[in-house]
Amino acid sequence: MIGVSEHILLGAVLFGLGLIGFLSRRNLIVIFLSTEVMFQGVVINAVAFARYHRHLDGQAFALFLLVIAAVEAGLALGMVMLLYRQKQTLDAEDWSSMRG
Amino acid sequence: MNMPLDTIKYLGITILLAPLAGAVLAGALGPKILRGRTHWATILGVAAAFVASIMLFQTVRTAPVTARSAQVPIYEWISSASGADIAVEFLVDPLTSIMLLVVTGIALLVVIYSRDYMRHHDHPEPGYERFFAYLGLFVFSMCALVLGGNFILLYLGWEAVGLCSYLLIGFYYGKPAASAAAKKAFLVNRVGDFGFGLGIFLIYVTFGSLEYGPVFDMAARGITATGEALSSERITAIALLLFCGACGKSAQLPLHVWLPDAMEGPSPVSALIHAATMVTAGIYMIARCGAIFAVSPVAMNVVAAVGALTALFAATIALVQTDMKRILAYSTISQLGYMVLGAGVYAADSAVFHLFTHAFFKALLFLGAGSVMHAMGGIIDVRHFSGLRRLLPATFLTFVIGSLALAGFPMLSGFFSKDEIIHHALAAHPILGGMGLLTALLTAFYTFRMVFLAFFGPQRVPEGVHPHESGSWMLVPLFILSIGAIGAGYFGTGVTHKAFHHFLEPVFANTFASRNPHHAASHAAEAAHASFWADYGLMLISGTLAILGILAAYLIYVAQPWLAGLAKATWPAAHRVLWKKYYVDEAYQAGIVDPLRQSGRVCVGLDDYFIDGLVWIVTAVPRGLGYALRFVQSGLLQGYALSMVAGLAVILLWVFW
Repeated sequence: MIGVSEHILLGAVLFGLGLIGFLSRRNLIVIFLSTEVMFQGVVINAVAFARYHRHLDGQAFALFLLVIAAVEAGLALGMVMLLYRQKQTLDAEDWSSMRG
Repeated sequence: MNMPLDTIKYLGITILLAPLAGAVLAGALGPKILRGRTHWATILGVAAAFVASIMLFQTVRTAPVTARSAQVPIYEWISSASGADIAVEFLVDPLTSIMLLVVTGIALLVVIYSRDYMRHHDHPEPGYERFFAYLGLFVFSMCALVLGGNFILLYLGWEAVGLCSYLLIGFYYGKPAASAAAKKAFLVNRVGDFGFGLGIFLIYVTFGSLEYGPVFDMAARGITATGEALSSERITAIALLLFCGACGKSAQLPLHVWLPDAMEGPSPVSALIHAATMVTAGIYMIARCGAIFAVSPVAMNVVAAVGALTALFAATIALVQTDMKRILAYSTISQLGYMVLGAGVYAADSAVFHLFTHAFFKALLFLGAGSVMHAMGGIIDVRHFSGLRRLLPATFLTFVIGSLALAGFPMLSGFFSKDEIIHHALAAHPILGGMGLLTALLTAFYTFRMVFLAFFGPQRVPEGVHPHESGSWMLVPLFILSIGAIGAGYFGTGVTHKAFHHFLEPVFANTFASRNPHHAASHAAEAAHASFWADYGLMLISGTLAILGILAAYLIYVAQPWLAGLAKATWPAAHRVLWKKYYVDEAYQAGIVDPLRQSGRVCVGLDDYFIDGLVWIVTAVPRGLGYALRFVQSGLLQGYALSMVAGLAVILLWVFW
């Protein structure tokens, strides 16, 4: 029987993988994909608790999260495009003008 | 029957607002629309004020003698819980109406004169509109000073005329000497006004009111607001503090230094503000506050002594100066000294009479000097020209009339008024009266020294100057003033039964006249020795002195010119002291200006190093912290993410450990 702890573990693994990807990769698009992975880890948590509590709030919340993720993806990719047009590169380390 | 208050109210408002409206029009429309016609705005405004002044004078004159004073409230200005409300109100009495006639009448002539004076080859000078706007503002301020019915309005007008004086002395602000002179006039007047302000505070503390009526009433009865007896020290202090203000505004010792420098302003300004009207504000104030001055014999003696000393002091300086306008400036200081002396010996009516005649002949002389200056291309030093009498015949004629009046030549206006003051001074303080007589001799001498140097001798003009007589805009005011210089004196003589003095009598009846300690004695003496000599002896002496002075000047500067050089060579030290004006400016420079400047430098040093240092230390703390922590801001996206994760991990450990 797959219980709530297994689901939560899956969410945590997804979140951890996304985090590692976010911290270690240099390509802006891959970094962005990593954030999406972290996002899905959170969504799994929401669905898992909805099932555990026999309550639909978590499910509804998951749907909202998906919509927000889609919207955010549209925005973020647009910004990545703009950045690419400025420097012809996707390397995150090239954007460091805020250094103190 | 009392005077019609409504008529007085509206005439007073017209006198105030017409010149102000002219000034506003000149200032607002002048630069863009009126341009070369700006003078009309001010001429019409001042002319309206003059007509209203004549009507006001008639209203006062036709009222019964006992009802010639009216306090006219206009509106409540400042009200306070303590009950000491300040209203905008007029005090109209014979003194006010005469002052208004002098101010608006002379101002009208000067504004008309300025129309041509402020032009070159019929093109308005730069700042033409500004000039007329300031003149209108000055007439407004001076009328406010004279019309005001309480000390606050007096102070308001007092400061406003000072401001206009400052603006007009510095009219040619591009010229360093002019802007320095403007600042000097303003600052020296501040010294006097500081005392004046303190005097007004002391009046308020003592009498609990600032309205003329109650204050003068209490001062005359010798009580304070609480009904206690007024101590003589207190009233003397008030009078002397007020006199400080008069010293500043009327250029008496030791605050006379600003007036000669004020000649940097255009000549019409010198004529109107620095000869005929503003500088007489001090005399007006003493006359107005007669109830305060007359009850303090100490203050009266100080006033008389300062006046006599100033008269003699300035006359000696005028003996050797070469700038015509400066000679006239020292002469003005000297004549103001006469007026102050007159007020100081309880003869305020004579002082105001001299103010009246002096306004005509001194304005005439300044405008005449302006006409010479106009013809000489801006040069006014008598060493650079001579023999102008054929080149500028009309200016010469009017200038000589003005000079005769100033010198006290018999039967001209200055003769009568000056003689009266000397007469009263001799009765009260023979020494001060003697100084007055000596000054009369010196006055005749220096005045005609100037006339002879400028208009007689070989015809000589500065190089490159093509002299031309002034146009009628300038000559007509000169002729009108000449008539005044000849005839104004007769208002105070037997010919008109001393109309001037009888008109002023109600104003001073309860103050100077009834408090005069010398009055009874001199009247008794006059009654005992009613003879030709008692009546006309002094007139003969002072007339002779005037003629002697003129003849001496003729001898030294026309008949035997080598005598002037001889005198200079014989007493070089005396000449140098007089040329340097007794080193008063130098003493102020070394004693006051330089120490203040030094202490200013010390303050700048303190500010730059001590205060700024403290501020630097305060800011150094956050700045140092910032330097220490700036490495945290790597600017790398993933660096921030890592620190967020690390921070989150620390919090989680903290919570769940």
